[in-house]
Amino acid sequence: MKLSRNIKLAIALPALLLASISAYAHHAFSAEFDGEKPVEVTGVVTKLELINPHSWLYLDVKGADGKVTNWGFEFGAPFSLKEKGVTKTTLAPGTKVTINGFRAKSGKDFGYAVTTTLPDGRIVKTGGAQDAPTAPAGT
Amino acid sequence: MNSHLNRHWSPLLLVAAMLVSLAQPALASETIPRLANGKPDFSGIWQTTSAADYDLEPHSNRKDTPPGAGIVEGGVIPYLPEALEKKKKNFEHRESLDPARKGWTLGVPRAVYYPEPFQIFQRQADLNLVPQFGHSVRTIHTNGTDHPKDPNDWWLGDSRGYWEGDTLVVDVADFNDKTWLDSAGNFHSDALHIVEHWKFLDNNTIAYKATIEDKNVFSRPWNIDVILYRHREKNFQLIEDYRFTLDYDQYYPPKPDNK
Repeated sequence: MKLSRNIKLAIALPALLLASISAYAHHAFSAEFDGEKPVEVTGVVTKLELINPHSWLYLDVKGADGKVTNWGFEFGAPFSLKEKGVTKTTLAPGTKVTINGFRAKSGKDFGYAVTTTLPDGRIVKTGGAQDAPTAPAGT
Repeated sequence: MNSHLNRHWSPLLLVAAMLVSLAQPALASETIPRLANGKPDFSGIWQTTSAADYDLEPHSNRKDTPPGAGIVEGGVIPYLPEALEKKKKNFEHRESLDPARKGWTLGVPRAVYYPEPFQIFQRQADLNLVPQFGHSVRTIHTNGTDHPKDPNDWWLGDSRGYWEGDTLVVDVADFNDKTWLDSAGNFHSDALHIVEHWKFLDNNTIAYKATIEDKNVFSRPWNIDVILYRHREKNFQLIEDYRFTLDYDQYYPPKPDNK
């Protein structure tokens, strides 16, 4: 099982590199994020960067100890978000959202957003990496 | 005596005056290249000879920088105090932080005065600017449209141009904050707003001016002024200079059998 996953990655990685040759900071999911570390956070949007090839959403998350941490989540490309009806207005600063995704391998407060739950209850798939797990464990 | 001299000299003076008038170049506006609709045609390959990209402000030489008089009107960029601290840090660590050194896109206006050529392809509805460095194409729309209502944070911003006589005026907005203004750490936020003026000085020279505004970084709008020259060397062309992928070259073409 583990072996076959590695083989899949071996095939997927060069393909992704080829696909991303003109992109900046464009990478495979597995290059930066850990598929074994699912994360679910609820917070208040501080900034949405609609930048190719990956957008980033930043939100203030209040921990159990009351401490507020600013998290950054990698999103899909701006056009794919637009197709799903996600714009700067949808995720304006101050908007409360819940994100299901995976943590960065670095262990810092960064992650990859697979789905985002908007204030109106709509759940949007926001991750765009071709090798990303489709849904984190527990969702 | 006087009249003798006059008699002698006046025909010569007349001839000299005629020669001067013949040598007088025609006005630039009469000879500059134009599109079918009469607007100036900036198509061609252009480059600055200034040291602007090394540092927009006046500077003496450094180990990695030739000296330059700078292209900032007044000589100093009016930073807000906090932003000035960031600029100093950028400068100190420019070797590792400069986006151009990482092979990223140059952004606007940096691609205009970066020390490599860029090519303009112009039509009535738009101009497309292709810098030799990096992979990017900047479109300046000249079809009367305005910035989009629902913008992205673009690497090159969104450029909308219009004509004031023979001057192309371009309003550029909707940037991200990932590019720099030069290699000396001068930077901007995503609130950057630029108004450019492009004008022919003669057939082979463009006067480029820009007003740079960013409420998060600068205390007031400031101006830059640089001259661009047309490349006229025989067979001159852009040669791809994309450095971001150089580190990956060793993996291509793929060698699946590890041979």
